[in-house]
Amino acid sequence: MASTTKSVRPTEQLGRLQSKNKKRGIGGRIKRYANFYVMFIPVLVILFLFYYLPMYGIKYAFTEFTPFGEPTWIGLDNFTKLFEAQRFWNAFNNTLFLSIINLVLSMVFSVGIALLMNEIGRVFIKKVVQTVIYLPHFLSWVVVAGIFTIILSQETGVVNLILEKMGFDRIDFLTNESWWRSIFFFVNRWKETGWGTIIFIAALSGISPDLYEAAEIDGAGRLKQTWYITIPSLMNTILVVFILNLAKIMNIFESVFVLYNASVYNVADVIQTYTYRVGMQGTFNYGYSTAVGLFKSFVALILVGFSNIMSSKVTGKGIV
Amino acid sequence: MKKKFSFSKGYRGRTIFSIFNFIFLAIIMIAMLIPIWKVCVDSVSREVSSTDISLWPQVFTLEAYEIIFSKKALFNPFWVSIYTTAIGTFLGLLISTIGAYILIQRDMPGVKIFSWLFMFTMIFNGGLVPTFLVIVGLGLYDTVWAVIFTLGMNVYNLVLMRSFFEQLPVSLFEAAEIDGCSPFGIFIKIVLPLSKPALASIGLFFAVAYWSEYFHYVLYVTDPDKLNFQVKLRELVLTDEPIPEAKDAGLMSETMKNAAIIVNILPFAIIYPFCQKYFVTGVTLGAVKE
Amino acid sequence: MKKNFAAKAATLTVALSVIAGLTACGEGRELNPNVYDNKNQYVKYAEDGTLLEIQKPDKIKLVTDTNLTVENGQEKFRDEYVRLTGIDLDLEQPAHNQYYEKINLSFAGGEMPDIMEVGNTYYPNYANYGALFDMTEIWEESDLKNGRLKDWNGDVVTIDEKYVDALKITSDKNKDGIITEDEKDRLYGFPIGRGNGTVTYVRGDWLKELGEANKLGYNHKNDAPTYKGEVIDFNEEFMEEFGEYMEYMPRNYDEFLSMLRAFKSKRADIIPITAAGLINSEAPYDIYLREFYQDARPDFYKPEGSDKYVDGMSEPKMLDALQRMQDAFKEGLMDREIITNKTSTSRNKFYEDKVGCFNYWSGMWCKTLNQDLHKKNADGVAVPMPPIAETEYIERPPTALAITTAAKNPWGVYKWICEFSHDGNDGQMLFSRGIEGEVIKDGDKVKEITGHYKWIEEKKSAEALTPMASPDSKDLVQKGWFSPELSINSFPDPIYIEDKITSSLDMFAKTSRVNPVPKMTLNIADAMTEISTIREEVIAKVVKGEKSPQEGVREYETRASREIETMMKELNG
Repeated sequence: MASTTKSVRPTEQLGRLQSKNKKRGIGGRIKRYANFYVMFIPVLVILFLFYYLPMYGIKYAFTEFTPFGEPTWIGLDNFTKLFEAQRFWNAFNNTLFLSIINLVLSMVFSVGIALLMNEIGRVFIKKVVQTVIYLPHFLSWVVVAGIFTIILSQETGVVNLILEKMGFDRIDFLTNESWWRSIFFFVNRWKETGWGTIIFIAALSGISPDLYEAAEIDGAGRLKQTWYITIPSLMNTILVVFILNLAKIMNIFESVFVLYNASVYNVADVIQTYTYRVGMQGTFNYGYSTAVGLFKSFVALILVGFSNIMSSKVTGKGIV
Repeated sequence: MKKKFSFSKGYRGRTIFSIFNFIFLAIIMIAMLIPIWKVCVDSVSREVSSTDISLWPQVFTLEAYEIIFSKKALFNPFWVSIYTTAIGTFLGLLISTIGAYILIQRDMPGVKIFSWLFMFTMIFNGGLVPTFLVIVGLGLYDTVWAVIFTLGMNVYNLVLMRSFFEQLPVSLFEAAEIDGCSPFGIFIKIVLPLSKPALASIGLFFAVAYWSEYFHYVLYVTDPDKLNFQVKLRELVLTDEPIPEAKDAGLMSETMKNAAIIVNILPFAIIYPFCQKYFVTGVTLGAVKE
Repeated sequence: MKKNFAAKAATLTVALSVIAGLTACGEGRELNPNVYDNKNQYVKYAEDGTLLEIQKPDKIKLVTDTNLTVENGQEKFRDEYVRLTGIDLDLEQPAHNQYYEKINLSFAGGEMPDIMEVGNTYYPNYANYGALFDMTEIWEESDLKNGRLKDWNGDVVTIDEKYVDALKITSDKNKDGIITEDEKDRLYGFPIGRGNGTVTYVRGDWLKELGEANKLGYNHKNDAPTYKGEVIDFNEEFMEEFGEYMEYMPRNYDEFLSMLRAFKSKRADIIPITAAGLINSEAPYDIYLREFYQDARPDFYKPEGSDKYVDGMSEPKMLDALQRMQDAFKEGLMDREIITNKTSTSRNKFYEDKVGCFNYWSGMWCKTLNQDLHKKNADGVAVPMPPIAETEYIERPPTALAITTAAKNPWGVYKWICEFSHDGNDGQMLFSRGIEGEVIKDGDKVKEITGHYKWIEEKKSAEALTPMASPDSKDLVQKGWFSPELSINSFPDPIYIEDKITSSLDMFAKTSRVNPVPKMTLNIADAMTEISTIREEVIAKVVKGEKSPQEGVREYETRASREIETMMKELNG
């Protein structure tokens, strides 16, 4: 049964077409795709102008550079300074931990909820649910933090009132090192889960109904259909979203910034909040911030590279 | 559609599942609604508590909205937001779809290189000052185009778009090619019409990004006539300073802030149901085969 | 696989060559020309060496951070400035959040302003980077300093030099960008007004009620509040507004605690004292919670009579301060949420009739706090409390108007911006009040004033109405650009400022010291990031009772040892 319901991976279909073209020589292929190159020029120009032109700035990572004078070459000093600061490593570890867990949770919840919403029969209810859960995304982090600070307040917060009624001690959720991370993950899910489902809902609607019809004829139940058709069809999107987000994980800032405080730096401080506080001292060392940026880029490169290789190994296809 | 899937064998299980599923989603929905409801309530009540969540306004007032909607200083920024969002979303989708369409041509010489060129920019960037100098050098400083272009080229969205295009059945391309369709023709006549969910979702991503953009406006635009709604809203309403009009009306600044938040969400609360049309109805292949 | 590798290699080559090819674009930016030597071109001296004439600039580019928004009538301000001086004014106000980023980018992009507003955290850095013009000489020779300016009554304009001196710093870089030690007390900016600071506001109505019922445990019916042993000479307005509460005001820490306890027992939901955090995020770090810090200073500072910096965190009195905070927190006198509070949350709690005392800005805020409290509780009064015997209030260094090294004619810029805005005359009126002929508000009526400002001199009840806004605007703003109540010179301001504002300011001025601009170098800035992170962590832990003060300080000293050493070396040479 599984063999009949299994979807044909789209890339394999693509492969079939391409293998035909393989027979042509490179010159022939360039000629065949000539129109594509023309179409591509504007995209390439924009990419070049806005992304590659400023890349020369990477060299500032090795300089002391303020907008008020010529950069002076200082070799790896910016990096040494960065790596010597003990709070930086604390921030680095927190960045990886908070972002990766957050990313995994976001994938699980967004895909899960997208699948559950897909099971709602009535289109109207489906629409209402979607609209409501996507709204929190539009509240800014400051507002969200304000709301949760009220809800979780030790003195007047609803959660603590309930805990007390049930005979538990009040908990200082936001200043307690052992609670803060859970709260952080929860608030993140609350705000972004609905928004995260959009891409999967779009992917779900792209699955051909023919596949389900075939499965039905085979007598596959709903669960089996989900397992053998829906999830494999979503797999490509899931992987792409995962790897794309992996490239951004070093940039985690606002969600932490609005929720953290001095008593949880140990578990909450991330690279961006750390460098924000460096900036608070009133210095403008762009060399240093470029160095931090470059370091983050390298970490992202390793993560993306690694997951891309893994993805190619497992599914036969990376995102690049 | 519903009937199609509820065949007798698993009918009872299915019903139980449906009920639980609905209850579960309803709980999530309520959990998400309460804080938003609080913002709504606070935007229409005279007194806003900083320690309690009130589910109903004690003293109802619409004055905060009146003040915001009568603030002439917000009219032009609103218009700027609308046209930059419209142009930007169009440009963003144009770049993403063309880029993605080219990246799925696995057989096209150089495609790998293009792909890496995109990915590289997602991970590395030149930094604030060089980017600023390029913008100035291109003569885009103090124009909305600085913002439109920098946000329009979005590798994240482009790669997502590509993953949607890869799902399309290749047989269609083959058929079109045999019919003598040019690559551009295939793009317009087959790829785009079949990718409505992708266009809707990624278009939404772009629209939201443009609408809520703050940082780039502040950096690249100085002319007050070219600043968008976000920037002005933050400057005029979401500040720490007491808002003069609110003071005159005896309103708390918190009421004003909450109203501003709602006004800001409104466009997307309205637009989303229209986008949903494209998510809910799946691709029906017959539609493109004339 | 092979092909894949080739593709990657090719991409990398392309990317790298692009970068390499572009590297050249970064070069060729010149250092801002230091135009110090151009002085003679713009300034004429008499034979005896006195300043004779300063050439008027044709155009001045000014960047400001506050208040001169388009909505507040930026255009009108510009027009009026041009009318009064004949100088073309290029005025820009970037968004507040990214103000310094914009300034920096304008330097990077070669569009530097002639003069800009700089807050005290950033001021020493800009000076060190060589972005600011050393205006010590200009100031020394200026008409304002030497008493040659007359206000519109014909009196000599005097200025409180304390505030100018507060901006004098030891720069690390002289005009050639070479670090020297002998350049002491150089001036790189002119104060916009007083820096202002915070006072502790107490709920006067509760205080009085508890005092009358003998619940406070003290009463000072017959002795006046003192500061450093001397009776504080409150002005008339202060006595009128707040005099009746003074007998119940705590005079020392013990009485202060009794007051907090009395607040706590008054009503279950009262927070005796709240604040936004235990330590401020920028210098002066201990500006809030004055009654607990007292004379302990969580910062590097020069004790009086010494010229060596010490680390206040390591002094014994810091242990006492930490102990006080820990005890008060444990006893429930301090807001449980003090660590997570934002400024706005603690303010809102105060407005909601929940807070007994709260340290916040003097001046305008005295009025606002009272106004907003009234909405919830018509009897509520926020009374600025004179500091208790153990402490004093702290005034921030002023915000500076700093001339950049890009200014072609710094003497002219000084004269037509810094001095013009403090001329006790039409210039100052424009900068601190707005435009002549615009509207003022008299009671509830809005009146159009067409005559000279002197015309409204006796109008004690008048309040200026967004001087630069359109006449039909309802915006009520009492200032032009500068806050008139924070003026540092003898300006015969014809427009009345409310008693609540002036009285709290007056009390604050009489019971505070001006904090100097902190010394700053790149090494200090780097070390301070680490130090303040650890400091904040440790203080929070001690106050929450997770550590004893001794353990806390020890932890701070061990974890930040390397940075503390750097600081001492940088500060004490």
